[in-house]
Amino acid sequence: MKHVAEVEGQAETRVRMPTRRALAKQQTRAKVLAAARELFSTQGYEGATIRDIAAAAGMSTGAVFANFTDKSELFREIMTSDLNAVQSAMSEAAARGRTVDDALLKAFSAGYAFYRGQMPLVRAALGLSWSFEDGQALRALPAMQDTIELFADQLALGVERGELSQECEIKLRSQMLFDNYLANYPQAVFGGWSLDALQARSRDQIRVILAGARRG
Amino acid sequence: MNLRQTQKEATRRRVLDAARQLFETVGYEETTVREIATQAGVAVGSVFTCFASKAEVLSQVMLDRLEDLYAELDRITPHLRGSVVDRLSSIFALHYAFETRRTPLFLAHIAAAYNWRPGSDSVPYGRNPRLRGMIYDCIADGRARGEVAAEADIALIVDTLMAAYAWNYRMAAWEQAGPDQMSAELERQIALIARGFAPAAAAA
Repeated sequence: MKHVAEVEGQAETRVRMPTRRALAKQQTRAKVLAAARELFSTQGYEGATIRDIAAAAGMSTGAVFANFTDKSELFREIMTSDLNAVQSAMSEAAARGRTVDDALLKAFSAGYAFYRGQMPLVRAALGLSWSFEDGQALRALPAMQDTIELFADQLALGVERGELSQECEIKLRSQMLFDNYLANYPQAVFGGWSLDALQARSRDQIRVILAGARRG
Repeated sequence: MNLRQTQKEATRRRVLDAARQLFETVGYEETTVREIATQAGVAVGSVFTCFASKAEVLSQVMLDRLEDLYAELDRITPHLRGSVVDRLSSIFALHYAFETRRTPLFLAHIAAAYNWRPGSDSVPYGRNPRLRGMIYDCIADGRARGEVAAEADIALIVDTLMAAYAWNYRMAAWEQAGPDQMSAELERQIALIARGFAPAAAAA
């Protein structure tokens, strides 16, 4: 167990090095996730089987199940990492906005830009989100709630800056912003809408949703 | 229509009738194309000459069901009274009441629609031109009565309301909400949007 001692020695440099076994496990997981992402994109959620995913990752189905309990966990894991990434991209974009409209539009656009080229995966996620158990699990992912929170925060800033009235029903309005933000994905999936088209539509939707809050 | 087309149409009808029965009694996921064929008294191959997939059968079954709803709405809408918000709320509420009669089937329909492929005959969920048309007309009438600002972009308002309407089905999917709760939520959302499109004098 010589290598274990060496690893522990390095741990003093504050970065705790994972053991070789943990590292191998991580690599296996990454390989499975990459294969699963590819298959969910080409075959959809229902069409992708654990057997195919294992084959594409070059391992047995047993090895896949050693790392993930089932297909829905695989999908959730992919969604979680994507949603966390898109959430931070949207937050950074919103922070650059000068007005409440501008900040919201920048956030919407950052979301659409993130998923450009990944529409087959978005389609699979949207379909799955309407199934009873998996849908609830997807909706409950913290990053989903964070996106609604992000819109709510921007509305609150708008109130602080005097752009929106005090009684602007932040909770209901941020939910509607989120509904409209999501509703544009099917347009992109089925209508092949460009980023420019999505952005133009979002700008108009945001204007309509905020209109009633501008009056004192 | 020649003989072959007539036969194909008859097969299509039988498949749709059989599928509707099975979907409503057994469930969408649980029903196989083979069972639909048996119930309809046709060969499995014949089902696939009419429909590309089970999802496409479901899509058509759900569209056909809507005929009942629209017959009801055609009777009711001329008699709607009250503000634009009241009228819009009524139209949407009738939709919620109708679709939540068979919530699992309706949710299966939404989910299956995302497997839609270009070139297929099925219609992705959300393309509901008749509902959009009704909502549009309702707001346009409101503008004629002076309840809606002259410069309001009606098509855009319809888009915004349709998004809220559609995503409220999540309440039925995950929160076991009934049509009344969904309608109440949407009414608040419609009122929120309406404060933005009311003529300036009325809003003050």
